[in-house]
Amino acid sequence: MNLRAIGCNFRTATVDIREKLAFDGPAQDKALADLAGSLGEAAIISTCNRVEVYVSRAPGSPAFDARAAAAYFGAVHGLSPDRVAPHLYEHVDTEAVRHLLRVTASLDSLIVGEGQIAGQVKEAFERSQKLAATGPLLNALFPHALRAAKRVRTETGIARGHISVSSVAVDFVRQVFDHFHDKTVLVIGAGKMGRLTLKHLRELGPGRILVTNRSPEKAIELAAECGGEPIPWENLDTALAEADIALSTTGAPEPIMPKKRFVEKVRPRRTGTLVVLDIAVPRDFDPDLHDGDSVCLFNIDDLTKVRERTLAKRKKDIAPAEAIVQSEVKRFVDDWNRRRSGPVIGQLTAEVDKLRAEVVGPLMARLNGKLTAEDRKHVEGAFKLFQNRLLHSPIAAVQEASREGEHPTLLEAVKKLFRLE
Amino acid sequence: MSGFLQNVTHLCFLLSYAVALGIELVRLRWRGPGLRIAGLALGAAGLFAHTAFLAFHLPNLATPYGTLLVVAWVLGVFYLYGSLHHGPKAWAVFVLPVILGLVAIALLQGADAAASASVEFPPWLIGDRFWGAVHGVLLLCAAVGVSVGFLASVMYLIQADRLKKKAMPLGGLKLLSLERLEAMNRRAVNASFPLLTGGLLLGALLLRQYHDLAENWASVKVLGTVGLWGAFAVLLYLRYAAHVPGRRLALLTIAAFALMVVVLAAAHPFAAGGTP
Repeated sequence: MNLRAIGCNFRTATVDIREKLAFDGPAQDKALADLAGSLGEAAIISTCNRVEVYVSRAPGSPAFDARAAAAYFGAVHGLSPDRVAPHLYEHVDTEAVRHLLRVTASLDSLIVGEGQIAGQVKEAFERSQKLAATGPLLNALFPHALRAAKRVRTETGIARGHISVSSVAVDFVRQVFDHFHDKTVLVIGAGKMGRLTLKHLRELGPGRILVTNRSPEKAIELAAECGGEPIPWENLDTALAEADIALSTTGAPEPIMPKKRFVEKVRPRRTGTLVVLDIAVPRDFDPDLHDGDSVCLFNIDDLTKVRERTLAKRKKDIAPAEAIVQSEVKRFVDDWNRRRSGPVIGQLTAEVDKLRAEVVGPLMARLNGKLTAEDRKHVEGAFKLFQNRLLHSPIAAVQEASREGEHPTLLEAVKKLFRLE
Repeated sequence: MSGFLQNVTHLCFLLSYAVALGIELVRLRWRGPGLRIAGLALGAAGLFAHTAFLAFHLPNLATPYGTLLVVAWVLGVFYLYGSLHHGPKAWAVFVLPVILGLVAIALLQGADAAASASVEFPPWLIGDRFWGAVHGVLLLCAAVGVSVGFLASVMYLIQADRLKKKAMPLGGLKLLSLERLEAMNRRAVNASFPLLTGGLLLGALLLRQYHDLAENWASVKVLGTVGLWGAFAVLLYLRYAAHVPGRRLALLTIAAFALMVVVLAAAHPFAAGGTP
């Protein structure tokens, strides 16, 4: 197979090393051209958590291992090979296949089950393919890895649920509301934490966004950013009475909405359910307001707990996911080896068929008229049987070696022994 | 073909629905690729057998047996539509038990069912059957509405309880949003109330005109239907005038459904051997 996966990830290299080793678009294209030009096939996966190169060496090309890769990375990124080498890992042949399948299935990710990596692997493959840096091996391997990742996602719960606090918050909102075009989102405060959640909420398409903040300038600024209406801080109670979803993210040292204030000034003016996403620390809303019916309040602790539960559940799905990867690795390696050994076995059989015909043909001509049709059949059958018995062991050995993944040497030996092209 | 369909029994659709429910319960834990199709196929087979049974046996709608079987059939249609429309949601695990329960109660009324063929209908139902049929259809439609409201309420309570505990479903029992369930309940109650009112008023008029109202008003069926109408009136008042939270409305809808089952299972004053 002659496949190598060499690289570093968040486990082996700190973020500053990964940043230095990362390939941007043009650098990646150049590296692909260099590597594919000198070695045969190449693909590079470069994300914030990993930089990996997959190479398949053509016969006669120079050796490429972790040491050579360190020298190459060092030269490209202006680092000494000694600085790069300690952070690199190297996987060969079947282990390289397994590594790519695990990476694509998000089993090697910082957050197991995250959905981005499969897309990044697909992009990396398409980029290499576009530059003609891939060949038979990588053209078969990457699509297989993407199919295996899809199997893992659909057959296990590893990708189920969300793991970012803002996505969990939006999931809760979806459990309460069905449509959003008639809903009002009230943003209280202009904290950084809230902006990402607001971005997710905006994707739901709410009918109206109100923004209020102690500092009116900040409210106006955020409202302009998100296409909302700034509301004076003094109108908080009125705005809360109108809102369906409140996203609170102030930096207030005390709760801005104690239960007494809500019960007296907001609740009597409200109908329907209010979802409060209180992601402020310390909390802005009294947690006792939550009743799961008229008020559904989720603070940062609740959202983090759900995130932890999701991660714990994903951990349970790792073993079944690994089993799928294992079976897909075996399938790929078997298929690949069969594809490689099949033509050699075919050639061998054809060659010996030809030799047999060269021996049997003249013999039958010489014995013409001396043998009955049945005798001719017996003689020809005996030669065929002899050929089959003779070839049985070499063919079985090639097939066995291909299953064990060590057949390239044996294939070469068979080719040389029988003088096959 | 029609000979084969004529031989369809209660057991055919009861078993199909039960196995479909079993598959749906398994799906809560393990989502195999073929399970959804198998569940839907069995549910559809159950509905087909149910339809064939009703078409060939034409149970008397004036009997609890007939009414319950027809309400169960309408819910069967509701189940199949919902299962196709809300694929990933745990729809069938709520609707199928209600269908099975209604069919089971109908079977418990089996003696009445056998007798239903020889029920002597009052003259108004034989001669001028129109208003009697309208009365029956109105109450039947109201019963379907109450059943839908009940299902929405049960799902609402489970969803609200889950939100109260701040638990996010990670697979398993996936439900519609609170808003959707509340809307389903509201529409069911809103639609059922005028049907129930119309059916009840028409029944009272027919009772007064053709029978002795004073003698029949105290039957379980009549009192229960009046109670059901009262429960619905309270439900509408609480929703639109008092703005009571959804949880209490859901509980009251469930109580109304229980009352409706009692009403449906009770004998009709006109169908008790012909004497009003």
